[in-house]
Amino acid sequence: MTANNVQLRLNGIRKAFPAKGGSVPVLDGLTFDIHERDFVSIIGPSGCGKTTVFNIIAGLIEPDSGAMFFRGEPVFGLRGRVGYMMQKDLLFPWRTVLQNVMLGLEMKGVDPCQATDTARDYLARFGLGGFENAYPKTLSGGMRQRAALIRTLIMDPDILLLDEPFSALDYQTRLYLEGVLLDAVETFNKTVVLVTHDIDEAVALSKRVVVLGGRPSQVKNVHEIELGDRSPIGARSDPRFSEYFHALCGELDIQTRTRAEAA
Amino acid sequence: MTTQALKSGSRAVSSNRSMSMPRRGPGPIARAIDTRLGRGLIQLAAVAAFFIIWEIAVDAAWLDAFLVGAPSGIWQVFRASLLDGSLLTDTWYTLIEAILGFVIGTALGSLAGLSLWYSTLVARIVEPFIVAINSVPKIALAPIVILWFGTGFISKVALAVSLTALVALIAAYQAARDADPDLQALLASMGASKNKIFRSVIVPSTLPAIIGMFRINIGFALVGAVVGEFISSQRGLGHLIYNASSLYDLNTVWAGLFVLMFVGFVLYHLIDFVERRILPWKQISTAGQVQV
Repeated sequence: MTANNVQLRLNGIRKAFPAKGGSVPVLDGLTFDIHERDFVSIIGPSGCGKTTVFNIIAGLIEPDSGAMFFRGEPVFGLRGRVGYMMQKDLLFPWRTVLQNVMLGLEMKGVDPCQATDTARDYLARFGLGGFENAYPKTLSGGMRQRAALIRTLIMDPDILLLDEPFSALDYQTRLYLEGVLLDAVETFNKTVVLVTHDIDEAVALSKRVVVLGGRPSQVKNVHEIELGDRSPIGARSDPRFSEYFHALCGELDIQTRTRAEAA
Repeated sequence: MTTQALKSGSRAVSSNRSMSMPRRGPGPIARAIDTRLGRGLIQLAAVAAFFIIWEIAVDAAWLDAFLVGAPSGIWQVFRASLLDGSLLTDTWYTLIEAILGFVIGTALGSLAGLSLWYSTLVARIVEPFIVAINSVPKIALAPIVILWFGTGFISKVALAVSLTALVALIAAYQAARDADPDLQALLASMGASKNKIFRSVIVPSTLPAIIGMFRINIGFALVGAVVGEFISSQRGLGHLIYNASSLYDLNTVWAGLFVLMFVGFVLYHLIDFVERRILPWKQISTAGQVQV
């Protein structure tokens, strides 16, 4: 890959968190690239600082050292340029679905009438037409997460940051929303960074998988995933799918860990 | 809401029964009574019974009318003072004191409490002072308030303010501190300023707690107004009650107390009404649909 293909470069990111009896290092010089229109998954054992990487990219946490470059320019974080989505739908309970979806446009200062029109279009397009005036409480988990996805997409962010967005959903809903996500990313030419603990999801959705490991975490490996069919079900039935899956499992020391504990 | 849930619950029960499922929940009599009218009639009957027994007990000299008063006497006092307008004047006076005290105290306290969200440092520094001031029984400040603000209208309002402001401050501060950090992070990632986060997350998410505190504070405001009138005043329900009790006029004391009770009751429901208007999203509830 050539350098001008790199959208976001993380270079030697270190972060430690204060704790009882000194500070605990979490990230130990993380370096990796995210390409234009990339779909990168970050996987690693729990507690490896996946969400911290995420918050650093979003500009919600400052790294102790290291640098980030957005299309070659040094940046401190991508506040206002990322779409942020978490396992919790984070819909505002006091806002209707329409008002929730409009949130990002509102923060950007888009004209309310225009924002309403855009939001209605998006809701209709993603199958939530008719629910504009419903409060989140009355929706199912899958519908809420779909609303959250619309809210993320409508802002037209440079990079979508997804932190285990579908892990609280049942498998069918999840496959469906993965499909919606892939379509949307394709249509709107978005870059996606997905944090997940789910190897299956990472392989099925990503173009590349960044594996974190060690304590404090470093980039252990970056895998290029090449599957013919990119639909959630198609990808999972590709013969290469299980190869990638096993390779990543091995990478995460899933078996050696249990052996070490038994010994 | 609860009524509807219970009603639909009882419908579910009757349909269950036709399928010879084991019946749960309230029995047929309880279900017949459990309507707005049914409950109202029972409540009314309880009040009537209370006064009738009281009247009979005084008539039969089981109770000393001099020490407990009598419903018939209370009614006479009530009618007379209503007709000569003195009761309305007193009620109006106390009501305005309480409402003004409530509005000023609650508004100042809530604003101060919410604004502590802006700076964790300031909040940490002032916290022990707030706790210390709050632990003083504010009613003990009454003599000073009267010294500072005189024996008129203002001192009663000031006392109501002193009783409500800290309650509001603590409630608002705690609610702001408990506001979901993830919602704040989401807005921050969208590039929202601190002021925007305050307006879009902190204010709406603290509203339920703040309105809940209104209910407590409306009571405290009435306490402030009445105690202020006890200490020194020429008008108001507190004045009426205090004066009458020093003359052993128990019927007048009761008349004043019942009016005070009515005022508190109405104000409480006024807040309920406001809550339903301001927090439509809170009205949706799936609770109470399950029969235990």
